[in-house]
This record gives sequence, structure tokens and C-alpha cells, in this order.
Amino acid sequence: MGSTTANIPTWLGVAASATLVLIAILISWRERLGLEREVAVAALRALVQLALVGALLLFVFDRGGLPAAFGWLVIMVVIAGFVAGGRARSIPQARSHAWWGIGVAVTMTMGLLLVLGTIDAVPRVVIPVGGMVVSTAMVTAGLGLQRTADVVDDQRARIEARLALGLSPREAFLEPYRTAMRTALVPSVDTTKVVGLISLPGAMTGLILAGVDPWDAIRYQIVVMYMLLGAAFMAAVISARLAQRSLFDDAERLVRTLQ
Amino acid sequence: MPHTDGPAPELFTLSEVTFVAGGRSILDHVSDHVHEGHVTAIVGPSGSGKSTLLRMLNRLEEPTSGSIRFRGIPLPELDVRELRRRVGMVAQHPAMLTGRIDDEVRVGKPDLTDGEVDSLLVRVALFHIERERRPADLSGGEQQRLALARALAVGPEVLLLDEPTSALDRKAAESVDAVIASLVGLGLSVVLVSHDLERAAALTHDALVLDSGRLVDRGDPARVTYLEGG
Repeated sequence: MGSTTANIPTWLGVAASATLVLIAILISWRERLGLEREVAVAALRALVQLALVGALLLFVFDRGGLPAAFGWLVIMVVIAGFVAGGRARSIPQARSHAWWGIGVAVTMTMGLLLVLGTIDAVPRVVIPVGGMVVSTAMVTAGLGLQRTADVVDDQRARIEARLALGLSPREAFLEPYRTAMRTALVPSVDTTKVVGLISLPGAMTGLILAGVDPWDAIRYQIVVMYMLLGAAFMAAVISARLAQRSLFDDAERLVRTLQ
Repeated sequence: MPHTDGPAPELFTLSEVTFVAGGRSILDHVSDHVHEGHVTAIVGPSGSGKSTLLRMLNRLEEPTSGSIRFRGIPLPELDVRELRRRVGMVAQHPAMLTGRIDDEVRVGKPDLTDGEVDSLLVRVALFHIERERRPADLSGGEQQRLALARALAVGPEVLLLDEPTSALDRKAAESVDAVIASLVGLGLSVVLVSHDLERAAALTHDALVLDSGRLVDRGDPARVTYLEGG
């Protein structure tokens, strides 16, 4: 990556930027929003969390090597599965479906990028790029499971009408499943459509801040957008397909979901 | 409509069928049978367990204990999809699943020819209908009859009907009743659920009266004891 001549804030600079937190607290106090305490806690949490992550990254980059980087990814996937699965409590084993969906999406996406040599197999690249993939996969797996739970509630009669005609659970669930997947994935497609027009995405912003030529930065960003699109689809579809299996019992009945 | 051909073979045999949901007993040791070629009405006030019993006949529900046989074979021993093709079902408010009349008839059997679709629509007195209309836009009685055609398309031996006419006005209800009567005349067996024995009686050979999950009477619909709303 390009050499950095950019001016990264010093700790003194960070302290100076805390004035802006003070302004936020002041506004909350003047306007009686009652958020002073929360703002202070949030700012402090951000500082502590990021400092810890920074220290950990430093350690991994210096000594941990690739195994530590992949270990990091695994931990992220585990946490992401918890979060995404929690979005659809009414689906049996939702967490396990989310883990599989996110895990497979991350493995496939990162594997492909590494095997094709698109990104470097070094912790400095694997962790941040993997993090983006995990978080996108988490969001779409969660959305996919949540929408699946919604269509089961809304379309129970339609699903049972198809089962009653002797169709398989997969056939009976096809229409609701497609509805769920479309609503879960449209945001990802839309984000890809408007990238650069409405938002300057994170990876590109970071590279530009770090002094990289914009023309180089966008190449990285294109790769990021493409990989996130792939990961989003894989995560949503795999989680939802697994959810579908757990929604029907041995006698091909739609199970009663817990509301 | 008394049946006079002597004892008909048993289509369904219920033995001590019990269903408990959420700690509440919905069906309580129900034992009885349904004869082939008959219209059997399951009647009772709402909450008496009659819809649950109907849904057990094509395994949309499973008894907590007890067993159900179809032509002598316990339901769990039959392939469930085959069972559901042999035992058709139409809900009280049937969901319309497609955007065209022909597609609706083909949901369970996509390879029906146009001629087969036509003859099914004739059987449910919908032949006159414009094929381009959206099934969801049809009247309640027409939707009910289209759902009958959709169920008949897969070639069932018996139809399960859940309150087939209770959501319809009198004229629409009569048109649905006429279709059911003509299907029975062609040899189809029917099990229907109704909260209104008087209405059901005109079509029915046998009535099973449920109250609070118990079978309280059974037999000729003109003679069984059924306290409406009781």
C-alpha cells in the first residue's frame, strides 16, 4: 500500500477532539435532553474498546501472525452468529443457522480473495477485510432469519395450503422464502448501487486518509463492494435455507413458532 | 340424504385420539370412524376441537396420544405427501396462491392439461369465469369453489372441508353446497366441520358431535343431540 505522509492525530490531538464530546454534553445539558451521562459513558467506552482492540491488533500484527488473524476472524463469526441468531428467536436453532450462514460466507469470500491473490495473506489485511465481511454477513443473516420468521407468521395459511396439496416443505416454502430473501438482500444491492454517489465507503475513506492515491483506493473499494455483495447473499440464503429445514418436522408440518 | 348401500368400508378409524396443547386438552380420547362415500360432519361449538380433529386427518396436526388409520393403515406409516394427495383439504378462508385462475388449479399438479383444468372448473361450476382474473379478486364463494378445484386436481379420495360455507352469504353458500353435493354424487367422500348442524344436515350422512374435546354423540344428523352454542 502507498506510503503514508498523512498527519495521523497524536494522543494530544485525541484529547483536543474530546472538546467535541464536551460540546455534545453541553448541548444535552442546555436542552435538557438528559443524555449527558450516556454521552460521557459512550465516549469513554469508545476510547477503552478501541484502545483494547488497538493493543490486541498491535500484538497480532507483531507476533501472532496468520493463525492469530484467523483466530480473530473465528471469534468475530461466533459473536456475529449470536447477534444475528438473536434476531429470530421464534426460529428453532436460529443461532446455529446464523453461525453456519456467516461462517460459510466468510470462509468462501475470504478463501476466494486469498486464493486468487486479490488480497494479501497478512494479518494487517486479513483482520480488517475479514471484519467487513463478517459484519455484512451478520447483518444479512440476521435480516434473512428475521424476515423468514415474519413470513412464517404472515403466510402460515398459504404454506399449509400448499402442504395440504401434497407439496414438499421446500416447494410449499418457496414463495415466502423468496419474499424473505428479497427484502433481506435489497439493502445490500442498493448500497452497492449508490456507492460513491451518496456515501464514501469506509475502506476507501481510510485509505485516502492514510495518504493512498484515490485511484488506488477505489480499486480496493471495488473489491470490497463485490466481496460484501457475495458474502451478503451467501449468508442470508444459507441461514434461511437451514431455518426452513428446522421449521418443518418429520411429518412435514410447519412447526408452531414461539411468538 | 340417507345412505342405503349397507355398511360402507371405513375410511378413517380414530382410536382414543387425544390432543393436548399448552397444557389444555383439545381432544379427549375420541374414538370413531368415517365411512367411505359418506359425508361426515364434525359438529360442535367453537373451541370444541373439531378443526384440530380435521387437521389430524391429513397430518397437519399429530395426536398427542391415540391413533388414526386411513383405510386400515396408521397415518404415520403412509408417505405424508401421498396421504395429503389422497386426502384433500380446503380451509374456511382458502388462501389464493397465484395470480391466475389456471395457475391456481395447477398449484398441486403443474402438469395438468388445459382440458383437465377446464373439466375441473366445470366440476366446481366456475367454467364461465374469465381466466385472466386474479383469484384474490374473486368473491368468497368463487374462491371457495376454486380452492375445491385446486384440491380435486391432485385426485383425492376424500375431501376435508373446514366450515366450507360459514363465511359466505346464503346464495354463495348454496352454490358451494351444490358443488359439494355433486362431488359426493360422483363418489367422493367428504369430512366437513361445521358449527351449524342444521345447515350441515342437508348434505350429511353421519354427524360426530364434539363438545369440549369429547365425542358426545354420533349418528344420523337428524337424530343426534347437539345444543348449539352449548
